[in-house]
Amino acid sequence: MIHTSPASRRTRPRRGRAFAALALVVAALGGSLVPQVMAVDSPTQAIEANQPKMVKIYGAGGVRGLESYQSGFLVSEQGHILTAWSYVLDTDYITAVLSDGRKFEAKLLNADPRLELAVLKIEAEDLAFFDLAASVPADSGSRVWAYSNLFGVAAGDEPASVQHGIIAVKTRLDARRGTFETPYHGPVYVLDAMTNNPGAAGGALTNQNGELLGMLGKELRNAQNNIWLNYAIPIDELRGSVQQILEGKFRPTEEQAQVKPQDAFDLAQLGLVLVPDVLELTPPYVEEVRDASAAETAGIRPDDLVVFVGDHLVHSCKGLREELAHIERDGKLRIVLLRGQELVEVEVNGQAQGEATQP
Amino acid sequence: MKQRMRRMNILAAVLIGQFAIGSLGSAAAEGLPLREERAIKAALARVSPAVVRIETVGGLERVGQLLVGTGPTTGLIVSPDGFIVSSAFNFVQKPDSILVTLEGGSRRAARLVATDHSRMLVLLKVDTDAKLPMPEFVPEGEMRVGQWALAVGRTFEQSQPNLSVGIVSAVGRIWGKAIQTDAKISPNNYGGPLVDIAGRVLGVLVPMSPQANAEMAGVEWYDSGIGFAIPLETVMRVLPKLAQGQDLHPGLLGISLKGADLFGEPALIAAARATGPAYRAGFRAGDTIVEAGGQAVSRQAQLKHQLGRLYSGEKIHVVATRGDQRLDRDVELAEKIEPYEFPFLGILPMRPWAGEKAAGLVVRYVYPDSPAAIAGIKPGDRIASFAGQAVEQVDAVVQKLQTLAPDEKIQIEVRRGDETLLLQATLGRLPESVPGELPPAHALVAPAAADAPPADGEQPQVGIVPLKVPEFENECLVYVPESYSPRLAYGVVIWLHAPGGLKQDELLELWKPLCEQHDLILLAPKSADRTKWQPTEARFVRRMLEDVTKRYTTDPARIVVHGHEGGAALAYLVGLAYADVVRGVAAVDAPLPRLVQLPETDPVNRLAFYTTLATKTETTAAVEAGIQRLREMKYPVTVKNVGEQGRYLTSEELDELVRWFDTLDRL
Repeated sequence: MIHTSPASRRTRPRRGRAFAALALVVAALGGSLVPQVMAVDSPTQAIEANQPKMVKIYGAGGVRGLESYQSGFLVSEQGHILTAWSYVLDTDYITAVLSDGRKFEAKLLNADPRLELAVLKIEAEDLAFFDLAASVPADSGSRVWAYSNLFGVAAGDEPASVQHGIIAVKTRLDARRGTFETPYHGPVYVLDAMTNNPGAAGGALTNQNGELLGMLGKELRNAQNNIWLNYAIPIDELRGSVQQILEGKFRPTEEQAQVKPQDAFDLAQLGLVLVPDVLELTPPYVEEVRDASAAETAGIRPDDLVVFVGDHLVHSCKGLREELAHIERDGKLRIVLLRGQELVEVEVNGQAQGEATQP
Repeated sequence: MKQRMRRMNILAAVLIGQFAIGSLGSAAAEGLPLREERAIKAALARVSPAVVRIETVGGLERVGQLLVGTGPTTGLIVSPDGFIVSSAFNFVQKPDSILVTLEGGSRRAARLVATDHSRMLVLLKVDTDAKLPMPEFVPEGEMRVGQWALAVGRTFEQSQPNLSVGIVSAVGRIWGKAIQTDAKISPNNYGGPLVDIAGRVLGVLVPMSPQANAEMAGVEWYDSGIGFAIPLETVMRVLPKLAQGQDLHPGLLGISLKGADLFGEPALIAAARATGPAYRAGFRAGDTIVEAGGQAVSRQAQLKHQLGRLYSGEKIHVVATRGDQRLDRDVELAEKIEPYEFPFLGILPMRPWAGEKAAGLVVRYVYPDSPAAIAGIKPGDRIASFAGQAVEQVDAVVQKLQTLAPDEKIQIEVRRGDETLLLQATLGRLPESVPGELPPAHALVAPAAADAPPADGEQPQVGIVPLKVPEFENECLVYVPESYSPRLAYGVVIWLHAPGGLKQDELLELWKPLCEQHDLILLAPKSADRTKWQPTEARFVRRMLEDVTKRYTTDPARIVVHGHEGGAALAYLVGLAYADVVRGVAAVDAPLPRLVQLPETDPVNRLAFYTTLATKTETTAAVEAGIQRLREMKYPVTVKNVGEQGRYLTSEELDELVRWFDTLDRL
């Protein structure tokens, strides 16, 4: 039932892309001689074409500062809506309002909590929609347009709000444990516009030709520097799950909680004694290295400062213990030490435990 | 890419020359967003090699109330041999170790070389054999409001910088120090560069606030559309100093201005600290600054603007008016203004009877081990000249001392009998201990007046005098010695009773003999509510004092406020609020109120403190903290230990306190 829409309906974004490509070629040739042809798909025209694809979604909430609305967009001609999986959808009465003001009761087809996405269905036909099959790349500096009903400003036949910004960087949300409190761990476009506000989750992100790039995520704070993050999940990450839901084949997989390995590295086993952990962030200086331990074999010395375990920077004694507890002790572990002003890299052997003599 | 763009521009220019402008206008408009996007990416690629990632180990978790992040921050290479500039915000947690990762991924340990406390920047150094890539910078004069401004950080990905795009919103912000931009500035890019559309650096991104000057100030504005960057031109100018490990500080004049309206009021000097550069250059309270750094100053903000860009050690030309006079000086700005410390010669002067025919200042008492004692001054000596100033009255020495500082060397000419001695003294600091027995302060029998005898008119009332003024409901008791003579100057003791009301009989029994013996007038206001004083009643106290000083001859050097418990708290408030008339505050069993703002020590209006200290009461810590605050501001504080529990003074202690009152005209 998916992608059965006639080719003509999909031509619009494609044509845009083709023209853009043509423009590049012509521009490269130094030609300002191709004038009016290209004037078709300006950003404003792209917005006009995209507005009918946006959906305002109303559901549960409205208490204790939880908004009862969010955003979504059509992904099929027959009324399939892609949106963010949230408490708003946790009700039997989900309402979807199209940009022309038509109001539908929406049915939750399925959701993928891992990707924080959900697919709704309304009973309608001949709708404008974003084609998820069309994949467009974007990177730092790409100009983007975000469509959403942030703060619930739009109602009835009012179209979604559009914000403009650029992609600050493409990064992964799972970069560090505990950095982002979200079930989604994967690539995101970080945006330099204030897009991720109440009600904006499930909105669409496009490039200047109006081509779909991603879905706006929920509000999220970066625990590493305590500031709010604005981001969208690339369509490439969502496409598979959406397709499975549309085909009725989706089987939700249990979120695999990050568990500590049974047999992890630890300081005692390595033969490392750190300075007393008295501060909130005591730097992990080595106080003592046990004789004939794995640490000694690797060349770690007293007064070394442990700065990296694998590729992960450790900020404190606490951080070092935590980091080690997450690494399976089945091979070699790369550790970077600061010795005076020198960075020294060593490798410790996780198997070397039996050889260490206990003093 | 850049070359291609240039070619297009040239081509476009040629075409405009050849064809109709109309048809080309639409073509250019159409291609613009795409061309801009490509230019933005090219600019990012161009600056990227000079943008480094900074990580820190250890340090504080919280600074003030704010949780400090431990995530990566950004720096900008400013010299090929390894100097890197970053935002001071990124180091506010005082990390133990700093690691820098260059664009290629190679990691170096870095050390913090110096901090610029005016621009809130730090300079780091990494050791490197390879030459590091230098960014190009835009001179301040070329920056235009409205031009593209790209904020670059390296906090999300090591391999890829992060970017926010906006425009230059203003230049010369934060008192001339910063570029303002609407690109999103946050911990994600503090320390990174703000670049133009060609990838040349405009400035280094920092959090800043026009009101506050601290590492964390301005962080609350993150991602708000108001962000700041310090022009790289400024950074390159001060780089040699920073590279030598020299910290930089804002330049201070050491003055405060009258009035709070920066944009409405003229730069009238309300106070000039004696230790500050403006005072040393000759500017005084009451002068109005009309020009600074070559710019006319008609409002305070204009002066702040000129000063804001300057560092300590730099000079500014200042012009001020004093009446018809015009003062025109170069002032070298200071890093820190030390509080003014009162100088001390170490003598008490005799207090002459009005009309007494006596030239010069006669020494009543010499403090043991004081500069005067060391110089050889003896009681009974007559000081004829002091630090080059001829002395006919005590006032001459008082005024000269106001222009001097401790440790200054002076000459004193002394008459002893028929001898004239020329003595040298090095000024010291006001003592905090109270001398033992003191000789009388004046001739016991009034000498015949040289001038006309005092008018026979009305002799003011002596003994117990009730005072009441219509505008206050409070009542007030005054005791004037029966022996009062208008030809002598009397000290005034304002007694502020403890909660529970004024116990008139007890009070008079205690104070009558003291007043008679030490030439004191007792002024004892009553709180409107007998159980407590209100801070607003300070106004009533002042009104009563004015009444007394109008009616009786009083000594402005010996006006003290003395209180017990709640009364002592009010004594602090009265003393600090009316420092223009009060010279001493004596508090028994009460700490300096925590929230009270301490004024700076004033050469003209000397203020000294006396407090009791009990070692085991609930307020012990607060009393000690108050003593420390006062001493930090260089106020002399005499501390009387009264044992473990708080209490009022014994009669011996009270005698000593009265002796302290008696020494407040010390020189």
